[in-house]
Amino acid sequence: MRLVRSLLFVAASFVALSSARAQDVIKIGADLPMSGPNAEYGELFGAAANLAVEHANADKMLSKKLVIQFEDSQATPQQGVVAMNKLVSVEKVPFVLSAFTGVSKAIAPVGDRAKVVSVNGGGIGPDLAELGEYFWNVIPLVNLEIRVMAPYLVQERGFKRIALIYVDDPAGEAINKELAENVPKAGGQLVAQLQIPRNAQQFTSIAARVRGANPDLVFIASFGAQQAQIVKQLRDNGVSQQLAGYSVFSSPTVTELPEAKGALFPTQSVDWSAPGMSQRVAKDWKAKTGKDPSFFVANYYNAVMVFVTLAQALEKSGQPITGENLLKQRKATGTFDLVGGKMEFLPNGSVSMPIQINEVDGGAGKVVKAGTMAK
Amino acid sequence: MLFLQLVINGLQLGAIYALTAVGFSLIFGATKVFHVAHGAAFTIAAYLFWWIFTVLHIAWPVAVLAAVVASVVFGLAMERFIYRPIQRHEGAFFTVFIAAFGVQIIIQNLTGSVFGRGFASVTTSLSHSVEVLPGLFVAPIAWISLLIALVVFTALSLYLSRTHTGMAMRALSENPDLIRVFGLDPGRVAQCAFGIGSAMVVPGAILTSMTAGLNPAIGAHVMLISLAATIVGGIGSLRGAACGGFLLGLAENLALWRLDPQWSEAVTFVVLFLFIIFRPSGFFGRPQAAK
Repeated sequence: MRLVRSLLFVAASFVALSSARAQDVIKIGADLPMSGPNAEYGELFGAAANLAVEHANADKMLSKKLVIQFEDSQATPQQGVVAMNKLVSVEKVPFVLSAFTGVSKAIAPVGDRAKVVSVNGGGIGPDLAELGEYFWNVIPLVNLEIRVMAPYLVQERGFKRIALIYVDDPAGEAINKELAENVPKAGGQLVAQLQIPRNAQQFTSIAARVRGANPDLVFIASFGAQQAQIVKQLRDNGVSQQLAGYSVFSSPTVTELPEAKGALFPTQSVDWSAPGMSQRVAKDWKAKTGKDPSFFVANYYNAVMVFVTLAQALEKSGQPITGENLLKQRKATGTFDLVGGKMEFLPNGSVSMPIQINEVDGGAGKVVKAGTMAK
Repeated sequence: MLFLQLVINGLQLGAIYALTAVGFSLIFGATKVFHVAHGAAFTIAAYLFWWIFTVLHIAWPVAVLAAVVASVVFGLAMERFIYRPIQRHEGAFFTVFIAAFGVQIIIQNLTGSVFGRGFASVTTSLSHSVEVLPGLFVAPIAWISLLIALVVFTALSLYLSRTHTGMAMRALSENPDLIRVFGLDPGRVAQCAFGIGSAMVVPGAILTSMTAGLNPAIGAHVMLISLAATIVGGIGSLRGAACGGFLLGLAENLALWRLDPQWSEAVTFVVLFLFIIFRPSGFFGRPQAAK
């Protein structure tokens, strides 16, 4: 009996200690790929979010220390939902960072039911703008990217015949739909639409199909290691035409690949030379990683800073930091001062930003067309 | 011309699959250990070769040697420190499977932490295709893959049929007690199977680093294909595993002749299911009655 009492006491003390520790911090969640073929994105997004936390804590922007609880989505919807359930039910966070179109679509209903805000800074599927009030995007979605990219490729660069290789997932499907609509509108033709499985690693025969279609340009809509594999294997197997992709082409796995040199890709415009927050992030990121920051760094830094701004306002007015209050406060807040300048949310929780076209040059990318708003 | 192109691509890929599958089949055939971590040996060999050759810029023979040593040490360590203790205690198939699967995940995460989680590839002119006929592109590495597969399979066949250890390895799966009668240690013979089987992933791993490129999760895919090739070829049959590897490589590529690319991997598993249903013992496996 004494042993049972002692054990109960130890357990109760442990729970009390954990709860006291939990009360000493403000915790938000991150449902990002930390393992599997897309782990490099989780590492990049997490590092950018951690930099924002570091800055917020150093500047004492909130009454308590801000921490991020990371959970591994493996970039798959199933694992993403498992991680989201843990963040919502066990960790009881009011705010979760998300990435990838498939994962974001899967976790949005969980967040919606629990009134927990999810913020996406990496997924680009257009339907991410329609996932309910508690799902926000700090990245312009792919429909905006393609509406700038298609006229540029066809009309300004003269690539009339475009072959598309797209991955069998919501992001790939969305790009296929947008290109099928916007390329003919710009005066071009989609000469091949080759859908590939998410786990495919061999593309030598895809290269043969691409050569057979005789395109002026090959557009690759995949992500992670797979897109680099496609680029390498196309170049190794006789495809010498111009290559292009969407914003995830800005990841180091592609930009540092010799075979990708000269490839074109759109991203949101971020002015890293803007005084204040932008310059500070660019400087600290370079000091930490030795590299120039990409727009993904801006997005995940901004996502955390959106939370900090809203939480600060809630603390000031004496309201608890809950998902419901964060949503109310976002609607009441006009613009946010963030990396790249001022940002305003559209009523559906997404953002519209100027899109620029870049060329892979071995570094962070060379801007070949300055930022324009999608029509 | 597209058909011929797909056949050549299929043979090149099939050579890599066959080399990996034969290693797995050798281990399983001799020891009856379901070595799911065979894919981890592939990952270790591939990344080590890439790191020494591309990052450290050390001559390729040194990189190859290091890859062979690392994969053999990994295979021997798995046998000595994971499988043998499990088999000594209860030896349940499921326990062995989970242990090996756990090691596979650990190696995947360690590889990501040590070598980076992004894409890695060895840049070489050997993987650059040239147009040998109008519309037909072949890279030197295609011929090299086939040649390596031929040399390795011939050497392995000779080893298994002409040496005492090789014959003991074949006998081990049938009757371990018989091996003891001939004065051989079954543990030693099992270690030989693990060492040779693990070394056999190295050619495929190096060729993959040059052609498809690497990511830390590549071992899982390799393991899946090795397993499928082993079943298609007939469990325990090395000749069958080699044929299974070539068949799956060809099926994956020839699917593109008439089907959309998203079906190419599915075709691999359709072939597997067809074998499971209509010829469960595979190409060269012996039908076994249920015990």
